[in-house]
Amino acid sequence: MSLLTADLLRRLEQFQLLAARRAKSSAKGERRSRARGQSVEFADYRNYVPGDDFRYLDWNLYGRLERLFLKLYEEERELPVTVFLDASESMNFGEPRKFDFARQAAAAVGYVALCGFDRVTVTAFPEALGEGAVRGALRSVRGRKSAIQFFRDLSQVTAQGTANLNEALRRGALAARQAGVAVVLSDFLDPAGYEAGLTALVGRGFQVSAVQILAPEEVNPGVFGDLRLVDAETGHEQEVTFGRYRLSIYQQTVGNFCQKLREFCQSRGINFFTATSDTRLEQLLLKQLREAEVWG
Amino acid sequence: MNFLSPVAFFFAAAIPVVILFYLLKRKRIVRLVSSTLLWQKFLAETQASAPFQKLRHNWLLILQILLLILAILALSRPYFSGKTSGGRLEVVILDASASMQSADEAPTRFEKARGEALKLVDAMHDNDQMVVLQAGANTEVKQSATREKAALRRALQACKAADTPTRLKEALKLAETLIQNNTAAEIHLFSDGAVTAMEEFENSGLPLVFHPVGQRANNLGITTLDVRANPENAAQRAVFTSVVNYSTNQQQSQLEFRLDGELVEVKSLTFAPRETSPQVFLAAQARDGIISVRLTTQDDLAVDNQAAIVSLLPQPVKVLLVTPGNHLLARALRVAPHVNLSVSAALTDPAAGFDVVVLDNLEPTVWPNANVLAFHTANTNWFAGWSQLETPAIVDWKATHPLLRFVNFDNVQVNKALAVQTPTWAASIVDAPQTALILAGELGRQRIVWVGFDLLESSWPLRISFPIFIANAVEWLNPAAINASQLSVQAGNPFRLALTENVDSAQVKFPDGTVRACEVNAARGELVFGDTSRQGTYRLTAGANEVVFCVNLLDGNESDTTPKAELNFGKYAKVSGTTVRRASLEIWRWIAAGALAVLMFEWWYYHRRTA
Repeated sequence: MSLLTADLLRRLEQFQLLAARRAKSSAKGERRSRARGQSVEFADYRNYVPGDDFRYLDWNLYGRLERLFLKLYEEERELPVTVFLDASESMNFGEPRKFDFARQAAAAVGYVALCGFDRVTVTAFPEALGEGAVRGALRSVRGRKSAIQFFRDLSQVTAQGTANLNEALRRGALAARQAGVAVVLSDFLDPAGYEAGLTALVGRGFQVSAVQILAPEEVNPGVFGDLRLVDAETGHEQEVTFGRYRLSIYQQTVGNFCQKLREFCQSRGINFFTATSDTRLEQLLLKQLREAEVWG
Repeated sequence: MNFLSPVAFFFAAAIPVVILFYLLKRKRIVRLVSSTLLWQKFLAETQASAPFQKLRHNWLLILQILLLILAILALSRPYFSGKTSGGRLEVVILDASASMQSADEAPTRFEKARGEALKLVDAMHDNDQMVVLQAGANTEVKQSATREKAALRRALQACKAADTPTRLKEALKLAETLIQNNTAAEIHLFSDGAVTAMEEFENSGLPLVFHPVGQRANNLGITTLDVRANPENAAQRAVFTSVVNYSTNQQQSQLEFRLDGELVEVKSLTFAPRETSPQVFLAAQARDGIISVRLTTQDDLAVDNQAAIVSLLPQPVKVLLVTPGNHLLARALRVAPHVNLSVSAALTDPAAGFDVVVLDNLEPTVWPNANVLAFHTANTNWFAGWSQLETPAIVDWKATHPLLRFVNFDNVQVNKALAVQTPTWAASIVDAPQTALILAGELGRQRIVWVGFDLLESSWPLRISFPIFIANAVEWLNPAAINASQLSVQAGNPFRLALTENVDSAQVKFPDGTVRACEVNAARGELVFGDTSRQGTYRLTAGANEVVFCVNLLDGNESDTTPKAELNFGKYAKVSGTTVRRASLEIWRWIAAGALAVLMFEWWYYHRRTA
């Protein structure tokens, strides 16, 4: 399955993830970092101490001041990009499926990162039996030439099981050796909430973007009457009598839920996007993310 | 507020059933959804925004219980008593005819009807007025309009059923008069519906409430009884009677035939459902006597199980024919049965001693006192004026009249006739377009049959119908036959007796043995006795005269005790029976309308919830 069209890939190649913070990765890359090392960007001076490399002494300054100073340069490091992909049972709903949309978005983010020589990790949660190899291959992918394999691996991930969003994000935050850019692709419909997980990511120093993906049926349900609704993930049953006249109230409820999530994200400096699974991918990638300066 | 049918409150037991239905789990459509989180939030928000959470939850239940309560209330028929504005007039007509003695209701239909009427009195508002009418052969006002319930109860208790047929028309006409210009009036008829058709009320729009009584028809009844000379053996008498089985089952009975109380013959008969069975008894009769027939069966209505008739032996009829020389007429008179004929060319005295005088085409100098058959003769006492009419065509005749029994006027041509205006004392029985050709009637106490054309100016004497007509006329005009027919009267009809001598007082011995004095109007020369409400044999003594007469029911309408659910007024109008009184302030209609509105709202609400 082709996750992204050739045209879209070509357009994505022009983008680069914009990191507001300096890269903290230990590996060399193309991102500015606080680390001092070898590059052409001058950073600072420091006093010479015995043992320093004479090649970095500033001889011009020695001529004027007769003191030895060492010239320091910025080290360019890579930017770790982590995509948290909700692969729970609930993502299988919708027409088109929410999970397909989420995978496409993950692929796009990953491709932009790979093109920028950044390290991409896709963390699909919850854990799924039998997909260990595929999911393992999605960790620490680097380099543009890995994109084909990256797409192939990503398309083999399936949505199943019950997710715990908070737990997954918290673990992801702890497991990351360096903070970087984090993109969370989920419907955020977790009874336990999402606040703790997102807070953990922000606390770890990630620059977080949250993309909420809802199915059109969740926003505008087309089934009425005396219903017994069964939660696909938890098996929880909810009886409800639903008529057309209550549709607007329901939509209001959905709107309130999204607004609350948006406000939470804004309060913590998280970029927040919402989309239904029937939204055109280009609309999200080329317009919304670009306008929010996730990439540029 | 009172309730006419409080038993309807038993339906309140249905309320727990409705609640039970709500306790049962409703069958719901099962749907798999990605998450119920949004739905939980949705329910939490809607519940939080509704001020009456529990109430809103159970709206349908509340509506249904309300609907049920309203329906039960409507069924219990609540009404307000004593709060009417302005008095209502209620006219109670209690049918007191023979059929009301039927024992299919306990103890009788009449008692049941009286009980219902008394209930109506109890339900009367204080400012209502009521009139009590007893409808039998005659309508009696038992109580004029009053608010006094005690008086009304007394009046109803004083009513009693008679052996007479109902003449409901009279009662309804009287009631109609009583409620004239009173829009709030009602007529309550307590009857079994065994009445004759009442077409004349078809369009009157009477505010009539019919309270029917009667459970079943289990009755055998004698509906006709007549006695004649046996046509095949003049020495014998033939008794014709018909017995009708009004029940829907086959019935068996014995029919006894008695002559002067002595049993002559018994027939064992089986009657098919709704069968009319004519029976003939033949017996030799040596002297005048009373012939009676009786059914031995025990059915619901006993009054029609017997009938009696006075049988007088035929006496020769003295007939005087006054004619210029009509031999055809003389011959026809001679062949008529029991005729003792005298012929004369002129009449100069009142013809005393003759029973019938036949005047043919002449005007006598002295008009006879006896009954008259007149051909082409005009009397100024009979008609105001007359004229001559050429070739009148016979267009109609009353075949049901006794004079025209078996008489047919086909092929009868008339050349000339007298054209007269039909007088009040007579009825036309043969008509031409311009005038009546034959009249029959009673002027004073003289019976007259008038034929308006000369027999010799017509083809009638050559037709077979002519001698039959003459025989019928002699019988109709025979005073003895008239008397004999008057000796059998239907219950409720007056018995009339022409007095041949001046008497001051008379006594009547009733069938039950009681003797009562009877007033005599000597000036009219006639005795009229009206108290014939009981059937049986009455003996009247007036001076030296002793007359026996029989009173019978002999009415098919009364004997047909089939309960009627509705009364028909002509072809289209009818009144259905009601078992319960329609109280004036009943509010069940409003409650039922409210229940309907609640039902519609509930329906709408239900669909709004789930659509």
